[in-house]
Amino acid sequence: MTGPIEGDPWERLRGLAMGQRIEIASADGRTWRGTIVPPHELSGERVIQIKLESGYNVGVRVSPSDRVTVFEAPAPAANGTASRAAPRSTAGAVTSATPTVALLLTGGTIASRVDYRTGGVRPVEEEAEILSFYPDLDRDGPVRVVPVLDRLSEDIVPADWQLLARRVASVFSEGARGVVVAHGTDTLAFTAAALSFLLEELPGPVVLVGAQRSPDRPSSDGFTNLTAAVRVARTAEVGEVLVLMHAGLSDDRFAIHRGTRVRKMHTSRRDAFRSLNGAPVGEVVGDTITFRAEMRAPSGRGVRLDDRLDGGAALLWFQPGLEPTRAEAFAQGLRGLVLAGTGLGHVASVHLPWIRAAVARGTVVVMTSQCLEGAVDPYVYATGRELLRAGVLYAGDMLPETAYVKLLWALARTRDAGAARALFLEDRAGEISPRRDYAEPP
Amino acid sequence: MKAGLEIHQQLATGKLFCDCPTDLTETATGSVLRRLRATGGENHQVDRAAAFQAARELTFRYEPGPSSCLVELDEEPPHPLNDEALDVALSIALLLEARPLDEVIVMRKIVVDGSNTAGFQRTALVAVDGHLDVGPKRYSIASICLEEDAARKVGEIDHEVRYRLDRLGIPLIEIATGPEITSGAEAREVAAEIGALLRATGRVRRGIGTIREDLNVSIPGGARVELKGIQELRLLPRHAEHEVARQRLLLGVRDGLLARGAQVPSGRISDVTELIPSAGTGALPELVRHGGTVRALSLPGFDGGLRSPAGESERLGRELADYARAAGVRGLFHSDEVPLGPLDAAFADRLRGALGLAPSDAFVLIGARDAATAERALALVRERAAMALEGIPNETRDPLPDGRSRYSRPLPGRDRMYPETDVPPVPIAPSRLERLRASLPERPEIARARVARQHGLPDPIVRQLQQAGDLETFEALAARAHLPAGVARLLTQDLPAAVDIAGEAPVDLALETLDGVLASVEDGRIAKEGIPPVLVQLLRGAPDVPAAIAGAGLAPMSGREDLDALAETIVARNDSVVRSRGVEAFSPLMGDLMREVRGRRDGKEVASALRRALERRLAGPGSAP
Repeated sequence: MTGPIEGDPWERLRGLAMGQRIEIASADGRTWRGTIVPPHELSGERVIQIKLESGYNVGVRVSPSDRVTVFEAPAPAANGTASRAAPRSTAGAVTSATPTVALLLTGGTIASRVDYRTGGVRPVEEEAEILSFYPDLDRDGPVRVVPVLDRLSEDIVPADWQLLARRVASVFSEGARGVVVAHGTDTLAFTAAALSFLLEELPGPVVLVGAQRSPDRPSSDGFTNLTAAVRVARTAEVGEVLVLMHAGLSDDRFAIHRGTRVRKMHTSRRDAFRSLNGAPVGEVVGDTITFRAEMRAPSGRGVRLDDRLDGGAALLWFQPGLEPTRAEAFAQGLRGLVLAGTGLGHVASVHLPWIRAAVARGTVVVMTSQCLEGAVDPYVYATGRELLRAGVLYAGDMLPETAYVKLLWALARTRDAGAARALFLEDRAGEISPRRDYAEPP
Repeated sequence: MKAGLEIHQQLATGKLFCDCPTDLTETATGSVLRRLRATGGENHQVDRAAAFQAARELTFRYEPGPSSCLVELDEEPPHPLNDEALDVALSIALLLEARPLDEVIVMRKIVVDGSNTAGFQRTALVAVDGHLDVGPKRYSIASICLEEDAARKVGEIDHEVRYRLDRLGIPLIEIATGPEITSGAEAREVAAEIGALLRATGRVRRGIGTIREDLNVSIPGGARVELKGIQELRLLPRHAEHEVARQRLLLGVRDGLLARGAQVPSGRISDVTELIPSAGTGALPELVRHGGTVRALSLPGFDGGLRSPAGESERLGRELADYARAAGVRGLFHSDEVPLGPLDAAFADRLRGALGLAPSDAFVLIGARDAATAERALALVRERAAMALEGIPNETRDPLPDGRSRYSRPLPGRDRMYPETDVPPVPIAPSRLERLRASLPERPEIARARVARQHGLPDPIVRQLQQAGDLETFEALAARAHLPAGVARLLTQDLPAAVDIAGEAPVDLALETLDGVLASVEDGRIAKEGIPPVLVQLLRGAPDVPAAIAGAGLAPMSGREDLDALAETIVARNDSVVRSRGVEAFSPLMGDLMREVRGRRDGKEVASALRRALERRLAGPGSAP
């Protein structure tokens, strides 16, 4: 229906489609003409947002006496002054012999666009959209886009890690040379650790990549991160799970981290990801990929996947004042508990009784350090010795998050606490090391 | 002509979306390299201007420093909109009797020339529908926006542009007038009045580059052309007039082309590298010898249409070359320039033969290091040539110091704007407007009338003080019992002259300092001729007025004897002049003596001393014939 709206126009206005052209004339003589755009969720009461011809969005508070006119059919999206977002490029140099890289989408900033209604970013839903963001993606060879999840990474759960691991295995068996997983950065390190344990042998690299700026922004780091990740997946002679992100704030250097040794260490910077207890295993500068660490070679036998994970473990961050009853309640019913303790691996000694009881019940209690850098050591202080005697398992230089994932993995492989403890301390994917090189802090 | 102005003025508040200082600095504490891509907005459309900029494939090097943080580096989300800056913008909106919006929504305006690290400039519409009276005429104020200033470009080498981040994020108020301006002189008047209004708030930054004007010009049958970033008011008329002439000329060229049957060029771009005489001199043979490539485009029916018509300086050839340059080439050669350098008539004939051109056709040649660049440049030339048959393209142009302008990019459209979702919308409560309305500054025309009346100064002087933003300083000094005429002279003549001499980056002089300078004249320590050199010393960093007086070599002359002795010396040194011209020698010698006195004594005193010296000399023994 077009034409003027009778009476209080607010209800009618709220029901109109995005892109509908309207005019609002208020009693004081001011007139707004434009198209309806999605309101911001933090917009005020009775405020409608319209996009003016100049491109500005304005918020107009609609009063009952305003005269609103609705015009003919919504304006078409294209107005002739602009070109479509660049179409998918056709790469001339690519031959059928060029190895295929599979790009698995899970959501997250790297595969998100701004949601103009909520004001946040939301994951893209279709393959075409991601290729419209990253038109140069397949410049050096074929890229097979496989949507797996569409979730921001804070919503990802261990079952998603299992699903993802199975997808990685299947795209390898379908002929992919390497795999890139586009993932939200918040929990990317957890997923990287999980894939590291679940994918026991790999015929090529699995590169997790994210972006700290969404791809609807011209400055997104997603463009260069993804390009570099695809290059590593296509060419690196490595059979491991890796994480690739900016090495610094510039768009020309990328760090390659081992999937079990990496952590998001900044809320917003492009170089938020850091390898702890050692340097990144490699880097990409321009077209050159360099590995500094010894890497596991691709397996000649294809993928070996064991996707079992146990749900009965959790991670607890100790703090001064934490009441033992609260911690005990948290540990109730768990088969495994990772403590992120202080310094060399301590919690207040008032916690010893419930820890002793939990271990006696068969709970695997693991100690890691909030320091993140360095290994835990129970022998230096009395509390450590007490905790060790209580049956707490000291996790060396394993990161708390990695230890949590690894405990889910270990518990799924045995019902026996003793066997689980032994499995936990075995180096599976470079997550634990007996020695730490001297290096100047970054 | 019809013209509208956009005035951009930096506000003297903190930055718009973070908590950094706003001082410009030469200190760079690092360097970050970035690339930008054109991206689509709400409806997936890539803006034409943005796509155009992105096609240049530049890399950007950003230099952070003490006046920038992670926000400017695009490494941290923007903080909420600076409330103080919004208050200033709203006050200005109220002064212009504009209507503030119910809710201010921050938008992203895509700009991928690197001047914004994010690839967009944040901008918010604050108010609309204002007006301003200048003399008898009322001008509409279409919009008042609050936006962030761009990063400061400090260099460009090949495909890398260097920017410093200190200026990025400084709040700018943008005031756009309606298209009611009909001449360049009028544009200048309106801009001056808006400038005075802005300064009346006391919340705007001062100095070079803190206010910039864009002029939108169109003529009947022409197009909207935006001359972006004119930094000096006095250049507005010249730019307006030149743009009108350019548009008229291009309309004439179009009529001529249509009359001789020119057609939209659709021909393909040909590789003519082989045809370039590689032994020859000039840019193209040089390029070919170094492995470059030369491409040609034919323009059917354009022969003679690329050169300047008789008596004109502009030409279509230059417009085509400007478009080509946007693709990263130095320029182009075209058939209307034959014979020129390597393009002698014989070569042109060979080329015409190879391209199969009719005598009425024109051709354009572009050389580049690689084929892709040359072809991209010629594609732009083809696009621009097609527009020449329609009329004048809507575009953004860079003003040049000589009054001309150069094509910079297509005029951006609405597709380059989409919401900045990291910044919450700001509702404008009626109570906020009431609070601001209660503390609005005095309107400029009212302040002018009051000051003229109070201090007995002529209106043009008051206007001059106001347009320079010195009215407040004037009133403060006049309140300290200095003579109004003396204060006005200090601010409108001596100080600008001293700033000219002191050169770049002058120190801003404190009120106390100016007070001290005036006091030194009043108590006779220096003559008023001594004011400019003392100000120069102060601007160059002299710690106080006595030091500046000493630094200017104006140490006090004691008593009449010194001055008389100096006059005697001058007269003696110029004995021959005195002998041949008698008392007529006064004029030339007065200049010499004033230079020696250097403002330490009043001019009248100096003149009587010289007269006495002359009389003594002419009456004395040595002067008889």
